[in-house]
Amino acid sequence: MVSFIDLIRNENMKLYKRTGTWVMIGLIILAMSGVGLFTKFVLDSDAHINWKEELKTENMQLESALKDTEQMGVGNDYVEQQLAINHYRLENDYPPVHSESLWGFMIDVTNLTGFVALFTIVVAAGIVANEFSWGTIKLLLIRPVSRSKILLSKFITTILFAIGMIILLFSLSFIFGSLLFGVSGVEQPHLVYQDGQVVEQNMITYIISLYGFNSIDLFMMLTLAFMISTVFRSSSLAIGISLFLMFTGPQLVQLLSNYEWVKYILFANTNLQQYTNGTPIVEGMTMTFSISMIMIYFIIFVALSWVIFEKRDVTA
Amino acid sequence: MENQAVVELINVKKQIGNINIIDDISLKVFQGEVFGFLGPNGAGKTTTIRMMVGLIGITEGEVLINGVSIKKNYEKAILNVGGIIENPEMYKFMSGYDNLIHYARMVPKKVTKERINKVVQLVGLEKSINHKVGRYSLGMRQRLGLAQALLHSPSLLILDEPTNGLDPAGIREIRTYIRKIAHEENMAVFVSSHLLSEMQLMCDRIGIIQNGKLVRVETMGDIVDMSKEATIRIHVEPLDEAFHFLYALYEKTDIEIEDNFIKISLKQEQIPQCNKALVENDFMVYGITSTQTTLEDKFLEITEEK
Repeated sequence: MVSFIDLIRNENMKLYKRTGTWVMIGLIILAMSGVGLFTKFVLDSDAHINWKEELKTENMQLESALKDTEQMGVGNDYVEQQLAINHYRLENDYPPVHSESLWGFMIDVTNLTGFVALFTIVVAAGIVANEFSWGTIKLLLIRPVSRSKILLSKFITTILFAIGMIILLFSLSFIFGSLLFGVSGVEQPHLVYQDGQVVEQNMITYIISLYGFNSIDLFMMLTLAFMISTVFRSSSLAIGISLFLMFTGPQLVQLLSNYEWVKYILFANTNLQQYTNGTPIVEGMTMTFSISMIMIYFIIFVALSWVIFEKRDVTA
Repeated sequence: MENQAVVELINVKKQIGNINIIDDISLKVFQGEVFGFLGPNGAGKTTTIRMMVGLIGITEGEVLINGVSIKKNYEKAILNVGGIIENPEMYKFMSGYDNLIHYARMVPKKVTKERINKVVQLVGLEKSINHKVGRYSLGMRQRLGLAQALLHSPSLLILDEPTNGLDPAGIREIRTYIRKIAHEENMAVFVSSHLLSEMQLMCDRIGIIQNGKLVRVETMGDIVDMSKEATIRIHVEPLDEAFHFLYALYEKTDIEIEDNFIKISLKQEQIPQCNKALVENDFMVYGITSTQTTLEDKFLEITEEK
């Protein structure tokens, strides 16, 4: 038996021996540093000194907003929660997290997961299709290794790339953030509203959970790009379709949210934060429903790639 | 051991749509033998080879490698096969050595560093093995392709057009390697080509494929012998008299005068007799040259008559 670890080592070697991969990694580091430097030197730094005053004004606005919605007969969970958290901050002297702090910066950087998704799509789109366009698929497949194993090693390598990028983003933003903004205020907890009261949460756990939520979208786009790459053997097609869907998908879903069937579209389900923090796109959707939908899509994508890769006549 | 078939094709067919691309091919290749697979472009050489290594499905029939079916037990069967399919495409952004490491990891029995170095030496790439493959010449890539095919010491080597695009020196080099490998390592070698002159120098047996059918399988000697009638040109004086003399002697119609030579088709053993007859009848024979039918002509003859 050929060891599976060796197959993954092979795929990694092919991935990291290419300049393009390192350019992508470099761009991610550059973007992260860019966010940090911009926050530090361009954004107004005095904005958050009177945070107590600011919160009080905000609370007043929120309360009046709440009254309005009550008159209209609709509940407004989000406003209520925000209000409770703001009161808690004032009582316990926890200033809101702002961008110019280690945590604020790290939270901002989690938005760069979209960037990671972009590059992961590029990797996923190429990892099978390139073997066909380079013609190397022939020599790759005439080995005593089943096609499914080769495909799996490629899929896992793509996932490892994505995980690596996220860990890189997380750890570098921690290092870079501490250098730029210092470590004062690290003891600050993250506040969440749970079962009618405000709960303190570890900030690191919160940031990791943000990456977790963002990664679902990334993971599904990765699988989609990988599937297109395998089925059509064209990396540009895979990149094109995946990026197009990544950017327009959520908008499209938003636009069509009046229709009930929208909830069966993948993009209506990939943002699980709509359940923890906000309202679902289509009323009546639940976390369990979304997770099931994500799994169904995942199984379809993987099954398509697998069946087609397994049966394909290689004539490249 | 001599009659142990390393690879056996049994009634292999490939159908795409309603068209039979490969129609009922059966053949055997034995240990220590170089088998040439000959045919014009588009005859189905590459398709057959791709079926033999499992790159494309076999519609009907069987391919056995050391008795193991490539259809039913792919991983075990392919273990004994090394090959280059069409051009030896490698990962250009990696060094030749990294490319070999890549393939060395894909066999169950560890390929040692020593083995890799030995193969590199065998194909004569010691100097450039650490360069990126993107900088290799076609000949070097061809040799790296050969190295990758030999890494795991297979018992069957399959080479699809191994001399394609090489210069004469490169062609001779590859040819030398192939003969050396087959006879020293007792491997079976299956080589496809559309170049006959190539095959003539390299192969022990030849199978000719045309329009997806295996037209004939012959040993090299038989194929050359098939050209029993050789055309010879005789430089003889006086020309016209000699012409009439030979015309009468052989009662042949395919005798003619061409550029002051007599051109006549004779069996091999008739040539000295003809010479003797001319000399004995006081003709001045300045020279006899044989414009022997080459394999090339034979091949064209075979493929055109079908």
